[in-house]
Amino acid sequence: MNLTDLQALEERYLMRTYKRAPVEFVRGEGSLLWDAEGKEYLDFLAGISVCSVGHCNPEVVEAVREQAGRLMHTSNLFYTEPMVRLAERLSESSLGGRVFFANSGTEANECAIKIARKRAHRRGIEAPEIVSFERDFHGRTYGSLSATPALAANPDLAPMLPGFRSVPFDDATALREAVGESTAAVLIEPIQGEAGVYPLGEESLLAAREACDAAGALLIFDEIQTGMGRTGSLWAYEQTPVRPDVLTSAKALGGGMPIGACVTSPEAGEVLEPGDHGSTFAGGPVACAAALAVLEIVDDPGLLRRVRDLGATLREDLLALNGVREVRGRGLMTGVGLEEGIDAAVIGVDLLERGLIVNVPEPGTLRLLPPLTVDPDQIDRAVASIGATLLSYAAQ
Amino acid sequence: MSSKKRPTEPRALTSSTAERLAAIVEAAEQAASKVIDDAEEQARRELGEASARADRIVAERLRELADELDPPSSPRRENHLRPVEPEAEPAPGPRSTSAGARLLATQMAVSGSSREEIEQRLRSGFDIEDTSEILDAILGPEEE
Repeated sequence: MNLTDLQALEERYLMRTYKRAPVEFVRGEGSLLWDAEGKEYLDFLAGISVCSVGHCNPEVVEAVREQAGRLMHTSNLFYTEPMVRLAERLSESSLGGRVFFANSGTEANECAIKIARKRAHRRGIEAPEIVSFERDFHGRTYGSLSATPALAANPDLAPMLPGFRSVPFDDATALREAVGESTAAVLIEPIQGEAGVYPLGEESLLAAREACDAAGALLIFDEIQTGMGRTGSLWAYEQTPVRPDVLTSAKALGGGMPIGACVTSPEAGEVLEPGDHGSTFAGGPVACAAALAVLEIVDDPGLLRRVRDLGATLREDLLALNGVREVRGRGLMTGVGLEEGIDAAVIGVDLLERGLIVNVPEPGTLRLLPPLTVDPDQIDRAVASIGATLLSYAAQ
Repeated sequence: MSSKKRPTEPRALTSSTAERLAAIVEAAEQAASKVIDDAEEQARRELGEASARADRIVAERLRELADELDPPSSPRRENHLRPVEPEAEPAPGPRSTSAGARLLATQMAVSGSSREEIEQRLRSGFDIEDTSEILDAILGPEEE
């Protein structure tokens, strides 16, 4: 079956929710992918920050293979060791409370939203509100979608859930004013990912923490993209002046297996009770075994230091390129702001033809999310490709 | 016993003894090598475990420091359950900034950031010129 056949079947059978690039990938290893015709690609998107330990990481593959051969699913009505061990590891590495497992990032956020609302009701708040920043992305299920202002504005999907409001991005004053007696939580990304990699400033972070403390609300960090070592610490909050009450994780957590997690402080972990929330597949032994293998690799000071060092080199090299206006981000989460008039979508297509996979989250930005195990020479190759593409664009 | 075979016996014995000796020496060498390998492996394992224990103790202590700076779930937060008057909200003053800077430094230390990395963030994020007080409090005085 060739690409044309796949496209015909997609057109007939798949819902039109994605615009796929005309490439069929058949194999991956480390930071590299190969298409059906044998062409090699350097993957600086890593499945949108999922394959952070590289494609088909042998340790993750072996963990999945071993667990899949032993036990794949039992439901949450019984105990399985990988789930409990993973919960311990996630809690001990972050907020010290409890963990709810989900199958994706948006589901992890749904859990966080439920915790916030239930906790607010216990405090006598009849109509609890959750405050987010504009351009935040928290997911596509209705709760998370309602906390994602740009997508929640789609009238075709109305009505959204009540009880969500947003303030301009990184506006500490607006955030303080928005948080009040009816606030259940402030739900934010410490670095906006889907918007184009925009780190939240220290003032806004401090304002969020202070406002939540004053109002008795929860501070929830959506670390679905920033977590699991992406920014050079296991969790992005570790490089901020605040600590959240709840954090959500997914994407890189499973190294390619679908898994999400909502991790709480000890206090927030006491909110949900039997019957409040659940999931048939979540916390399954295969996904949890994969996540444990990923954590074994990522939760390593040497690797995290390497992520910070490589990220600094990448940002510095990119900033030296003609056509690059600014470079944002932390660790190996990088947004490349192109100069006015350069169409990032055209650049992205050209880079794909050159064998470099990047993402274009907004018209003037390239987003780079290479595996955390990327080699320095692969960083050099990527920068060279971007430089060459920008030069040829300028020459047109 | 045939006399014809006698002369050959010492040679056979010599050869056999030599082979056996060689085999014994080889086995002894292998055993010694294995003992050394095992000892080295055990030493590496114990060193790794000791290092991990030390890391855990340091991380735990730093987390305790972070908890002191920002209690994650203390009843104190419940005392703050009151309506917020936006106009009465204090602007972020030096105290909160200072606490934030300390928490940032502590969390970065827990996550394995170097003194230089923390110092850089304190300077860029908080405009703190003299970072030594915070850094010394968290990481200990810089070695000469």
